[in-house]
Amino acid sequence: MEAVWDIQKIQDTLPQKYPFLFVDRVIAINEEEKSITCLKEVSINDYFFQGHFPGNPVMPGVIIIEALAQASILLYAALRPVEAGKKPDYFLGKVDAKFFSPVRVGDQLMLEVKAEKLLSKGGIVTAEAKVDGETVTSARIVFGVKPRE
Amino acid sequence: MSDFDTIKKEVRALVSDITEVPEEELTDEATFTDDLGIDSMMALEIVASIEKKYKVVIPEEKIPTITSLGNVFLMLEELLGK
Repeated sequence: MEAVWDIQKIQDTLPQKYPFLFVDRVIAINEEEKSITCLKEVSINDYFFQGHFPGNPVMPGVIIIEALAQASILLYAALRPVEAGKKPDYFLGKVDAKFFSPVRVGDQLMLEVKAEKLLSKGGIVTAEAKVDGETVTSARIVFGVKPRE
Repeated sequence: MSDFDTIKKEVRALVSDITEVPEEELTDEATFTDDLGIDSMMALEIVASIEKKYKVVIPEEKIPTITSLGNVFLMLEELLGK
């Protein structure tokens, strides 16, 4: 899968850094549909597997939500490059989520996010995390964007 | 009841649902932030829900003017041309 944004660009855009960076690649951006598709390769080297759970590595649901939230920031940055270029703070307002099946080591987690409403100061997105084309998590995320003073 | 009275009733219920403020406290005059504790994230949800329900687009520059339910009605009246 070819990347439209590589890890360098992702690291430059997201305020989150290793070990709390959960997007490896941006696969597609559709400005007309206001949507983005990102990839997270789930690896045994991910720090959370040390404790979640010993001998039974399952990706925590909250980390899947975080990955979807990070993909949402990348969507915001793609659609509003000027505001995102000023390195604002991003914060979560509300999350409605459903979890369907566990995500395990070796899974390619596709993060698909579509904007429902996007403003300079925040947005509402619908997001789906998929493994092998099957939805493992769906969420509606409300987030805020606040310029640094 | 006129069409717009019905819309007002629907919007009041929608705002109450999002903000968890009881409908009887949602007077036209009560200010969202000071009187009702509604934050900008809830305001964003209100805007998105109204847009979806009434198939209108609320311009970003109008959003700071939405400070009470009365203001929402005024804006909606304008957008729907009622």
